[in-house]
Amino acid sequence: MPPKGKAATKPKATETTTTSNPTTTNTTSQTASQPSEPTTVLERSQQRFEKTRPFEAARRQQGLSRLSKEDQKGWICDQLLHLTNRLPAASRSCLLGPKASKEIWWTVNGTNSIVRGLKHKPEPYTTWGTDRNGHDVGSYTIERFDERFRKRIALTALQVSSRVFRENVEREKRGFVDARSGREIIVTEREIDEEKVRRSKMAALKKDLYGAITGKLAESVEWEDVVPIPHEEPEGALAAITYPAEYAEAMSYLRAVMTTKEYSPRCLRLTEHIIAMNPAHYTVWLYRAANIFALDLSIPDEIEWLNEVALANLKNYQIWHHRHLLVEHYYPTISSDPDALAQFAKQERDFLIAILSEDTKNYHVWSYRSWLVGKLGMWEDEEELKSIEKMIDEDVRNNSAWSHRFVLVFSNPKYATPGKAATEKDEKVPQELVDREVKYAQNKVYLAPQNQSPWNYMRGVLVKGGQPLASVQGFVEEFVNKLGEGEEEEEVKSTHALDLLAEIYAEKKENEKADLCLRRLAEKWDKIRGGYWEWRRKCLTQSETEKAPGEQVEKAEEGIAAA
Amino acid sequence: MENDNKAHEEPEQEWPYLDVHRHLRYWKMCIRAPLPHVYLSNESNRLALAYFIVNSVTLLTPPPSKRTPETPEPLISREDKRAMRKWVLHHQHPTGGFCGTSSLVFPLNSYDTYNFDTKTLDEPDHAGLANITSTLFALQLLALLADEEDEAAGENVFEGVNRVGTLRFLKSLQREDGSFGEALSDLPGHGRFIAGGYDMRYCYIATAIRWILRGDVKEGSPGWVEDFDTEALARYILNSQTYDRGFAGNSQDEAHAGYAYCAIAALTLLDRPLTSTSSSSSSSSSVPHKSPLLHSSIRDLPGLIHWLASRPFVYLEPPPPSADQDPDTYIYQEDDLDDPNFLLPPTPSDLLCLLSQTAEKKGHDKTHVAFNGRTNKVADTCYFWWVGGALANLGRLDSLVDREAARRFLLEKMQHRIGGFGKSPGSPPDLYHSFFGLAILGLLGDEREGGKVRGFDAGLAVPRETVGVIERARRKLIESEKGGKGVVDGGKELDAVEMGLELRGGGERPKWLGACGY
Repeated sequence: MPPKGKAATKPKATETTTTSNPTTTNTTSQTASQPSEPTTVLERSQQRFEKTRPFEAARRQQGLSRLSKEDQKGWICDQLLHLTNRLPAASRSCLLGPKASKEIWWTVNGTNSIVRGLKHKPEPYTTWGTDRNGHDVGSYTIERFDERFRKRIALTALQVSSRVFRENVEREKRGFVDARSGREIIVTEREIDEEKVRRSKMAALKKDLYGAITGKLAESVEWEDVVPIPHEEPEGALAAITYPAEYAEAMSYLRAVMTTKEYSPRCLRLTEHIIAMNPAHYTVWLYRAANIFALDLSIPDEIEWLNEVALANLKNYQIWHHRHLLVEHYYPTISSDPDALAQFAKQERDFLIAILSEDTKNYHVWSYRSWLVGKLGMWEDEEELKSIEKMIDEDVRNNSAWSHRFVLVFSNPKYATPGKAATEKDEKVPQELVDREVKYAQNKVYLAPQNQSPWNYMRGVLVKGGQPLASVQGFVEEFVNKLGEGEEEEEVKSTHALDLLAEIYAEKKENEKADLCLRRLAEKWDKIRGGYWEWRRKCLTQSETEKAPGEQVEKAEEGIAAA
Repeated sequence: MENDNKAHEEPEQEWPYLDVHRHLRYWKMCIRAPLPHVYLSNESNRLALAYFIVNSVTLLTPPPSKRTPETPEPLISREDKRAMRKWVLHHQHPTGGFCGTSSLVFPLNSYDTYNFDTKTLDEPDHAGLANITSTLFALQLLALLADEEDEAAGENVFEGVNRVGTLRFLKSLQREDGSFGEALSDLPGHGRFIAGGYDMRYCYIATAIRWILRGDVKEGSPGWVEDFDTEALARYILNSQTYDRGFAGNSQDEAHAGYAYCAIAALTLLDRPLTSTSSSSSSSSSVPHKSPLLHSSIRDLPGLIHWLASRPFVYLEPPPPSADQDPDTYIYQEDDLDDPNFLLPPTPSDLLCLLSQTAEKKGHDKTHVAFNGRTNKVADTCYFWWVGGALANLGRLDSLVDREAARRFLLEKMQHRIGGFGKSPGSPPDLYHSFFGLAILGLLGDEREGGKVRGFDAGLAVPRETVGVIERARRKLIESEKGGKGVVDGGKELDAVEMGLELRGGGERPKWLGACGY
């Protein structure tokens, strides 16, 4: 601790023969030169030291050997005096003995020395330490130092009041009774408000004085019983990320509550705080779900909150996993009530439509949506199909919407055979459904023949319905004219038509025609896939039967079991 | 952007070329300097970022045998490697598996779950902090950080890895349907459950961890761990083929190139031989082996190839934002490209017409070919890798893709002037895309990149030398578990366990020790 200047302001001169007022001017008879007005607090303290230790000051300036015999004696006495002063009164006589003591006191008396001189000479840095910027507080001007001093007093006062408050909180918790009034101790709202103000003031002062980073949580009354576990980065670290101090603080509290497995409203708020800074932290989301389930909080409320977060973080994956967990948890509570189920399905769809209008091909949202259809049994829901049709009308190239349509139509458990793979034929799918979907896809192909989505869809529907690809030959041929009849004559409105036509011809064992399609694709219409079309041509010649083009592949007998 | 650099940087090279100097400068920046705040969203998975960095640096650092006196000092020194390996190991969870970030590594005593009511130790609750993704990245990192100057030391990179615990952790992440989740979590009212979406990535990662650690330990021998259900996993993967013949997280989702890669690579890894030499002589090829399982099991293999071959498309430069700018010299900023690069004209004839016009103007017909990840989506650097990697595992990378035009697109349009690759033309580089850009170049093995980029393994996504390290390190780790040799002596470890129990004051044997493999 820095000397408070107590001794310096009241140096007690034992001999007053030559002094005027020792507190204002240097009056000792010895060698110290008249110092100038101090500019820094260090200087001031050093001057004060010298004022009370004239022999020591003189020795420092000139060296012991250059002092007069008188002064040397004075210095020795001064040293011994300070040495003995440090000892307990009872043992002082042991050190020197009565005779020596007497001589010292006699000398001290004779040399006008100040008995209560300052013990240590103030030094830069070590005496006051540094401020938050690493500067020596001793280098402060007097005014600045005084201001800092006032702040420290203010902080101490606040800390005392804060401790009183915390003790009262503790008393209230234990149901203590106030001894004077005889009433139970109650911490009022007002007192809590006052404490909040106090804490923010304390935090500001601490930051100002010491640069201590105290985040919201350390200041908060709510978190005072938690000891945060700050994380340590070992040596050799890679991929360190510059993150805000607030994040580090929040994570250290998260670590603490996760260790004790605390589930509470404050933990829920903590997860919200972290999610606001980093919505991609999967552990935080999982911990949030655990809190919601443990506290049995309202799932619709959580979903409402989640909607906001999802809209603000479109590319986030964890949000959708969280939603998935919430629905899994919520579903059993409404599954027996068809109205509640329908209501919930509608709410979910409304939100999904809203978020997909912002980001039409968001993979996580579509993935959640297809899962939700199965979970809530939305297969027969006309609105679902309508909203998909609307999206395809808005952007016929939106492959995500096409994909969802396929699931919606062909995974309906009402007729779909369970366990059938997507690429497998399913006899149970009604013929009129297959026809309807083929027609739907064809109408969309007319809008943009080079759009691959409806071509893939149509082919997928035919396979699912177990129909030969040749059943759409007429339609496909509309997009290809005079193939191979000369550069000028030949017209291809869609490479996908030519591709499918090759398959149709191969299916009908018209390999030459199929080969022509593939050759024209490779030569002219789709050169960037030349290698692929050539491979398809090779497959044609290698397999006279309808064997798949991958026949060069070695068939492993073990199959899956080999794994 | 290229011309100013040509002069001092190997002037004989014909543009486009991989500007190794700038890429290395970019990666140097990423190694030690803290990453900017935008990476905060990756805080929970910092090992992934570390993997991108170290893998890229390794790809660009010639192996010792190919170094010449002119080769610059490797960016990561031997001492740094040692410290980094230690850092990676620090993420290991006490019962196996790895955490994604040091902020999820708890002080050891907090794993100790003493129950004051029953006065026993419960099973550790914090299993949720280890993560399947981080576990693979940690193992790959340890191998990537092997000291290449000293092959014997390289064998020891897995020293300290809790092999048995990690394999058990892996098994605990498999769901009933065969798929994998990413982590274990305790949910009140639901018990311990497997968290994570139905995501093909986890399935791939599971097979990679299995291949790296499991080895050929026979049942009953020390170090044997019950395998996860490979058949169920394979069935799950195979059922995820979609109606348009690609692959998705499951068959109800939209086909996606990233998931197609994961599905294909996972099947390949399930029957991949444990050492490269014992199979075909393909140690110099990107394809580790011709997986019988992969080729025999996929329902519509030609369809899958069709879907993959549909991912490349002709990249057309959008018109400059204002008429007075020259389209040939204008450098696009990300903001200019609302719909970055899916500007296909309505009919094939229009496209051909446009291409011939451009060719006439430029005096050559060198097109750019970009890759998308889904039908009708825009170009993205990483899909060149996901599609290329998938095709490589199928053994078809060479014959199906217009490599020249694709390479041209990558190097001319995606290479950034400060080094690294961006996500789309004009966008700034990031760790993820910068790594995958290099990975696909390593996979293509173009001789113009010869010596600049190491050959890359399409299944394990590390340079081929690193696969060798993994094989040797696995053998060493298993040997040491069998007892006798090695630093992690099995017998000694058990002695240590007994000693630890004694230090606890004897009493009941904690249940979790079993979970640790003792």
